[in-house]
Amino acid sequence: MSRPSASTSSSSRSSRSRYGKEVKELQDALNQNKIESKRDAIRKIIDAMTRGKDVSMLFPDVAKNMETSNLELKKLVYLYIINYAKIMPDLAVMAVNSFRKDARDKTNPFLRALAIRTMGCIRVKLITEYLLDPLKESIKDEDSYVRKTAAICISKLYDVSPELIEEQGLLKLLENLLNDGNAMVVANAVCALLIVQESKGTTMLQLNPYTIQKILTAMNECNEWGVIYCLDALAMYIPEDGKEAEAILERVSPRLNHNNPGVVLSACKIMMKFLDYLQNPETIRQNALKMTAPLISLLSLGKEPEIQYVALKNINLIIQKRPIIIEKDIKVFFCNFNDPIYIKLQKLEVLSKLANNDNIQQILHELKEYTQEVDVEFVRKSVRTIGRCAIKLEKAAEKCVTALWECLKTKVNYVVMESIIVIRDIFRKYPRKYEMILKDLCENLKSIEDPEAKASMIWIIGEYVDTIENADSLLGNFSENFKDEPANVQHQILVAVMKLFLQRPNDGKELIHNLLKTATIECENPDLRDRAYIYWRMLSTDPELAKKIVFTERPTISDSSYTIENELLDKLIENIGNLSSVYTKKPESFVKKLRDVLNSKIADKIDDVYDQDQLMEGRPEDYSDQQGGSSNINENNYETSSQIQSQIQQSQVQQVTQKIDLLDLDENQPQQQQSQQQQQQQQLPTQQIQQPNQFQNIKIPFAEVLNSNTPGSQAQIQGLQIEAAFQKYGDKIVLDLKFTNKTQDKTFSAFGIKFNKNPFKLQPDAIEIQCQPVFPGSTQIAQSSINTNGPALEEPPQMPYKIQVALKTNLDVFYIFIPMSLSVLFSNTASITQQKFIELSQAQNMARKQEVLQIQIDPLKMKEKLERNYFFLIGVRKDERGVELLSYAATLVNGMPLLVNVIHTPTAINLQLQVPHPTLMPLLYQAIGFILTLN
Amino acid sequence: MFSQIFILSPRGDTIINRDFRSDLPKSTPETFFRQAKTYSGDANPLFTVDCIQFAHIKRGGLYIVGTSRFNLQPAMSLELLDRLAKEIKDFCGVINEEVLRKNFILIYEILDESFDFGYPQLMATEQIKPLIVNDPIQPQPDSVMNSLRPKIQTFNIFVPNTIGSQAVQRSVLNKNQANEIFVDIYEKLNVLFNSSAYVINQSIEGCIQMTSFLQGNPPLKLALNDDLQIGRQQGQYSAGVILDDCNFHECVNANELDMNKTLRIQPPDGQFVVMNYRISGDYAAPFRLFPIIEEISSSKIEVTIKLKACFDAKIIASYATIRIPIPKQTANAYTELVKNAQQETAEYDSNKKMVEWQIKKLNGGQERSLKIKLTLQATQTAHTARKEIGPIAMNFEIPMFNVSRLQIKYLRIEERGNTTNPHRWVRYITQSSSYVCRI
Repeated sequence: MSRPSASTSSSSRSSRSRYGKEVKELQDALNQNKIESKRDAIRKIIDAMTRGKDVSMLFPDVAKNMETSNLELKKLVYLYIINYAKIMPDLAVMAVNSFRKDARDKTNPFLRALAIRTMGCIRVKLITEYLLDPLKESIKDEDSYVRKTAAICISKLYDVSPELIEEQGLLKLLENLLNDGNAMVVANAVCALLIVQESKGTTMLQLNPYTIQKILTAMNECNEWGVIYCLDALAMYIPEDGKEAEAILERVSPRLNHNNPGVVLSACKIMMKFLDYLQNPETIRQNALKMTAPLISLLSLGKEPEIQYVALKNINLIIQKRPIIIEKDIKVFFCNFNDPIYIKLQKLEVLSKLANNDNIQQILHELKEYTQEVDVEFVRKSVRTIGRCAIKLEKAAEKCVTALWECLKTKVNYVVMESIIVIRDIFRKYPRKYEMILKDLCENLKSIEDPEAKASMIWIIGEYVDTIENADSLLGNFSENFKDEPANVQHQILVAVMKLFLQRPNDGKELIHNLLKTATIECENPDLRDRAYIYWRMLSTDPELAKKIVFTERPTISDSSYTIENELLDKLIENIGNLSSVYTKKPESFVKKLRDVLNSKIADKIDDVYDQDQLMEGRPEDYSDQQGGSSNINENNYETSSQIQSQIQQSQVQQVTQKIDLLDLDENQPQQQQSQQQQQQQQLPTQQIQQPNQFQNIKIPFAEVLNSNTPGSQAQIQGLQIEAAFQKYGDKIVLDLKFTNKTQDKTFSAFGIKFNKNPFKLQPDAIEIQCQPVFPGSTQIAQSSINTNGPALEEPPQMPYKIQVALKTNLDVFYIFIPMSLSVLFSNTASITQQKFIELSQAQNMARKQEVLQIQIDPLKMKEKLERNYFFLIGVRKDERGVELLSYAATLVNGMPLLVNVIHTPTAINLQLQVPHPTLMPLLYQAIGFILTLN
Repeated sequence: MFSQIFILSPRGDTIINRDFRSDLPKSTPETFFRQAKTYSGDANPLFTVDCIQFAHIKRGGLYIVGTSRFNLQPAMSLELLDRLAKEIKDFCGVINEEVLRKNFILIYEILDESFDFGYPQLMATEQIKPLIVNDPIQPQPDSVMNSLRPKIQTFNIFVPNTIGSQAVQRSVLNKNQANEIFVDIYEKLNVLFNSSAYVINQSIEGCIQMTSFLQGNPPLKLALNDDLQIGRQQGQYSAGVILDDCNFHECVNANELDMNKTLRIQPPDGQFVVMNYRISGDYAAPFRLFPIIEEISSSKIEVTIKLKACFDAKIIASYATIRIPIPKQTANAYTELVKNAQQETAEYDSNKKMVEWQIKKLNGGQERSLKIKLTLQATQTAHTARKEIGPIAMNFEIPMFNVSRLQIKYLRIEERGNTTNPHRWVRYITQSSSYVCRI
């Protein structure tokens, strides 16, 4: 038996022996007959255990005392056993009998419950089996305290050995507990079912009008935590119609007056969700307004600032969805002198959302006060909020500008700098409208240190070179330190000086000359250098055109960059009261099973060794997405590292397998087409043998994409026929190409391929296609591996979905369209759980459509076919009429979910399709058709 | 919900560690403590490290921490930890390291009744009281260790300095206790004045709090003002007490509140908040501040602040503290109180650039004033520096006074034939929450 003192320290022998002596003493005390001495000994042992000392060697001595009738001693022994059972399963079995006996104790229900509760905490599979019988009895116990403990116990054991629990039908018994007469038992059963549901990934808690009634009734009687379980369960329900939603809201809304903030927020979650199902605008308004006072109360009433913070975050989401809820009460969001900084910043966020033409005067007055406070972060955010109001409310812009003008006059360094940044945005939104403040702006040049403020100021000068008389000398000053400035400032200097020269050639002549020289010769930043070169060339060829380009009209900006996209917003609304709503991230992005975290850490290490380039490749792509618009930032955040991980792993597999393919192709001789084809067909099954886990995909038939009568782009040659098809082999996407040479005397070779931008970011791994020359009259087959890291086309795919491809040969370039089945793009990671499926199928922004596919197919066969193509069966349920509904889901490579509910009829199959974008609808229908008919 | 709940000492030692789900590493308390120490001030109550969510509160210098790897509900989690702290306090009397170390077995018992598998079960003191077998061990009051420890703040939201209560540091398990109940009406004021003493924004956050040691937990009936009204209509003016919003403890039945202005209460043991309320309407602010700023010369400023107590002369406010931030470029500041000012001090803190004016006692109707003479450094002129003065913040406490006029008409035990009449102690306390005057 290991002793930590021996392993952890090299301390002297004496301390070790003292430790041994202590153990001996404790053993002696435990073996005495006096209860008190035993109790004190175990107290000491547990104290040591809590402090992290290893006292496991005393297990046999402690466990002996289990069968005591003294409840206090028994509890202590249980506490000890829970802690050590896992590392000493063999000894823990000794305790089983005592547990079983206690669980059947006739007299004391607390003892029965205690035994059941403790048994559930022993997370040893071996022991779980022994616990099933007493557990089954306790579910039917006469005492509600025992039954409620048993309910949770089932979820505990499910965590340890799910198979056993399912085999023994305990889940069914758990469901029965929903009908229990005691509210606390029902609440715990709901809770336990939700726990199992989460780990199992399929619906456990069947929500229908009957169970909903049960839950509503229980909610009235159980304690506040029970209320939260019930509310969370109700939030998952999809009401049949507006009437039902209204009835449930009627029952839920009194919970808003609870003084437990958890209850209030859970109730708000249901309110927000169910309001979508109501039709009558007046009913919606009335119900929405019920939330107003309770939400505001969360901000006060002696609540801890932490709770206020959570409330503010949630209010921010709620008002974006339904602004009516908090319209009038802006004063509540005025910052208190003693609010912690994180509260103040959130309040500003809410204020800028609430600002409208009626209250702007009041809000501005407050904001101006804030700009005089001491906390720099708060002041800067206040200035920024003034700017946001100006951009949001055109009518109030002038007032905001006046307020900012006052800020400039304070001459307080950070206020001025922040004001300049904000004024830049205002100038962009309302060009040439507020020139009166230019003078004061220009007086503050010396105090600007912050690069962003500096860049903003220079941009402003450049924009108004015609108005600012001394623009040339101001810019001259800035140019002096050109080389030492950060990139964004350098950039702005260059642009501003260019503008100066174009508007006032005489004043800017010397400046632009020197600057372009410095930028092209001495600068190391390639972006800057390139821009300087371009300017230089533009000026030397056509200055008028340069003027047009430099002073081109810019797209306007708006305040929408701070709003959350609807899809994410709906998701977050569903998570009101959860961490998700505080982080404004989808739960997937930060909730991960420990296993996954560990796995990804291991995977990280492997990847480090393997291929650093691949990791690097992922990054610029993320970056470019962020550049695409700040509204995307939120979306990017929730891309989990595991997703990226899996992409990377995927592409590695691609690489490896690709190499094998290439080798095989190299061995083939061009003349042996037949044998090559055969070999390729043989190659597929061997691949499957090598990778038994891989799915076998359907094979999309070749389509003729280039007719032999079509000339190339330079009309130099015709006579090449190309057939192509995108395929999925295992988990990689491959483009199969078949070249046929119909010319008399030309030979095609040196094939290369490039894709146009497309919605799923597909691109070939390599431009060159490894293919033998195609001699006249012969046919060659080639392959190109595809990845999904290419540039994105911001347009939804059209039906039929074709990808534009440029195919280069030694003789000419051909532009062809290759059709693609959506089935190739299904991701092979089954990431949609049942719960996710339910959530998605309730989402507002999904397009829905019913389709009928006139084929006869056995459900099992269909499942098998679909799953082979990564379209996974998520669950089966029956609707009211008893018709069986099969839910399938797949994820596209870009993460979009595709949902299909299938009803089998004798002659056809009915499909209910749900996709995030309507244009995907026909593509999905086609893909399912392919999967089921081909192959 | 929670995977573990642990309680750490201020130095990061584990005092209590209960693992419910075994899905997190054993070293999680260390992870927590390391992260908590990276914050400059108090750690953020919620943070995530390696996909482990931590929620914590600090009570009596101890960290009470819940961990999870799920998308937990932060409001609920923090509330849970707060309740747990309340339970421990109800059982042990106080929360501090020594008490927790002595009573760790009891706390494990409380934890096991309160949570199962990390999910809250019973969290009311009187519900779990019958299930607890251990007795609390009180720390020895005169032990050397105890006197060396800094004075530990109790977790109570409202800690009045003025009236001590016997209720505060008592354990509910004390067997031979008096049959009594303490009712406190606390009101916290938020007021914002502009420089001409005109109120810009004001609100009251109040609560009725009880600490019950009633034997047998008999049902109670609590009656409030007859002119009480809940919910404010736009543009409505009424002479009565109007609460914008209120919420209740789950032991309270508020069905009759609209009709009879009474609450029926099934009181649990120990401390609980019967009702929270919020008032945003106009009320007479108890103090008015009149700041006057004069530029004597380009480098000298004189600030005069007059304070007027606008309440009944019988009522005495205590511990009034007024803080006046003054310009950063101040070279020197002299404070000048009225002659023969008693129990009153004014000090200039040159590090914080702040003048602190303390008045220990102030009767209603009285006026006080303070003059601050500032000398500026040469780099700044009085004209620009005067903008840096303020805002003036005030803290105070007024016992036996409440601004809202919300009152307890009576508190009765509902059962008839109950001969032993318990002692009822009712207190009113008004405190400043954010009482600020802009200049």
